[in-house]
Amino acid sequence: MTTSFVDVDVRPTLRAGGEPFGEIMAAVDTLKPGEGLRLLATFKPVPLLHVLGSRGFEHEMRELDGGDWEVLFSPSNAAPRPAKVDAPVIGDHGTWPEPLRNMDNRDLDPPEPMVRILAATEEMAPGEVMSALLCREPIFLLPELAKRGHAWKGAFEPDGATYKILVRIGGSRGAPLPDMA
Amino acid sequence: MLGATLSRWTMSYFAAALIAFLAAELLMTLGYGYPSAPVESASTLVLVHLVVLGWLSLLMCGALFQFVPVLVARTLYSESMPLPTLVCLIVGLAALLLGFLQMGGFVSTAFAFFPVAAALLAIGFGLALWNLGRTLWAARPLPLPARFVAVGLCSLAATVTFGIIFALVLGGVTDNPYLADVVANGVPLHAIAGLGGWLTFTAMGVSYRLLAMFMLAPELDSPRSRVGFYCGTAALAVIILGGVVAICLTASLTPVLLAAGLLSLCALVLYGADIARLYRARKRRVIELNSRMAAFAMAGLAASVLLIVVLAALGIFARHVAAVAFLVAFGWLSGLGLAKLYKITAFLTWLECYGPVLGKTVTPRVQDLAVERRGIRWFFLYFGAVWAATAALLLAMPMAFQICTGLMLIASLGIVGQLVRIRRLLDVNIATRLPPGVRVPQLLYCSVKHD
Repeated sequence: MTTSFVDVDVRPTLRAGGEPFGEIMAAVDTLKPGEGLRLLATFKPVPLLHVLGSRGFEHEMRELDGGDWEVLFSPSNAAPRPAKVDAPVIGDHGTWPEPLRNMDNRDLDPPEPMVRILAATEEMAPGEVMSALLCREPIFLLPELAKRGHAWKGAFEPDGATYKILVRIGGSRGAPLPDMA
Repeated sequence: MLGATLSRWTMSYFAAALIAFLAAELLMTLGYGYPSAPVESASTLVLVHLVVLGWLSLLMCGALFQFVPVLVARTLYSESMPLPTLVCLIVGLAALLLGFLQMGGFVSTAFAFFPVAAALLAIGFGLALWNLGRTLWAARPLPLPARFVAVGLCSLAATVTFGIIFALVLGGVTDNPYLADVVANGVPLHAIAGLGGWLTFTAMGVSYRLLAMFMLAPELDSPRSRVGFYCGTAALAVIILGGVVAICLTASLTPVLLAAGLLSLCALVLYGADIARLYRARKRRVIELNSRMAAFAMAGLAASVLLIVVLAALGIFARHVAAVAFLVAFGWLSGLGLAKLYKITAFLTWLECYGPVLGKTVTPRVQDLAVERRGIRWFFLYFGAVWAATAALLLAMPMAFQICTGLMLIASLGIVGQLVRIRRLLDVNIATRLPPGVRVPQLLYCSVKHD
């Protein structure tokens, strides 16, 4: 069976500095059984892969000319996996407050960025958000954040060299978000 | 899950690898194998496989189980496979070495060591390839360093396939004439696929990422890097596929070797330019021991390439092939391996011990686990001894070679001693060593919770 794909181009939204998550999830909700989604974005939307993966979509990615990305999400044959409690959460429809702390960790020797972020999370109250700029994806930090029950969303900035992560304290445990259920 | 966690058995791989490394250096110091015995003798084969399988391949497998997830930002396909993989590889290696000794008449039992070695090594490397392959496959499209690893793994599959054919023919399991031709003429292909494809190409890929990470340099994925990758991949395809075709057609291997040699020369020159750029573009001005010593290893690779070109131009490459292989194995691969082990052991140990309490209490920094000024003396001795030993081989001075390998052994023991101190937190200030909730880690096993 060939999957038919509904196109969602979030590049204009991203270029305008907007947050396309709601747009994407709205499109996903309108898909008929067996239909897939063809997403066009200005960067590799890594966290989204996980979110749609937990909704039972498989993905194929392709870099386009000019650094944009095309991702084909097709419904997988297997039953959708239940979302893990400690899965990273990306934007739950704009309910994340403005970051209280902003860190620029781009010039720090590894693993100092991770140390500083974890130290900051210990000083913040549940629900508060911090943002940090990094010079690469914080591979070892992400599982540690999940283990400690914090939610995060992160992606490379359009320059491709700066990774921006937002961490919400205590955001994933105890408060499963509606779009992840 | 996104991100990477600690690989449970990586330290066991490192320990097994280091034991094989020290054993090989001891054997060379005692005059076992080449140059005291011919290159193709059973004792040289024992030595060579102890180095490339026991030391370099176990080191690489252990490192990949930890670092492929870092390269692709996903967890390893299976955390339970690496232990049976390690057992198969170690027992398979032992059977292979006994098979060589049996072939040389040093072991007189009639036990079929070669077929057993072939089966165990096939299972061991098969499991490793499956585990790493599935991890990479799930992460497509791959970033450049991971593509190098993918091609390295394909080369490993080719190397092991050649090895199995050799073991089955030498063990008398098959007398197929084509396979016998492969055994008679395929040794260079087996060696190049192993040293050049599996070990060197994979090390190149991993070094792109590790050097960028540890020196705060930008990740490279330029058209030049990609051209280098394609040249290297083409070189390996030419030598492995073209070589097999040439053997089956009973044609000469020389044109195949020449074509692959030119392609790999392009790949290595582009890689060298990239590495020089990484060092120049680094934000961290004062670099750590591991990055400084990695530069010595890169110099070893450059010297190996230069040596091959000069010897080939003079028409005396065949006579000195052992010296080149020695420099590649010890100056380049082992040098890079030891340098990175020094950092990786400290980093993984730090993450295992202090990761769960970071931010909650005062913890040591990664660099507090190692005392670099102590470690660096052993590294200088090691590299100096390797280069002198290579010269001794080129100048056909076996006694000088044994003295140099003795110095390599002493230096390696010094480095291993430092690694054990790092792992046991012996150099960490006593006041901050064990905050509440932290225990001294196991030497060989990483006790990490996987959710």
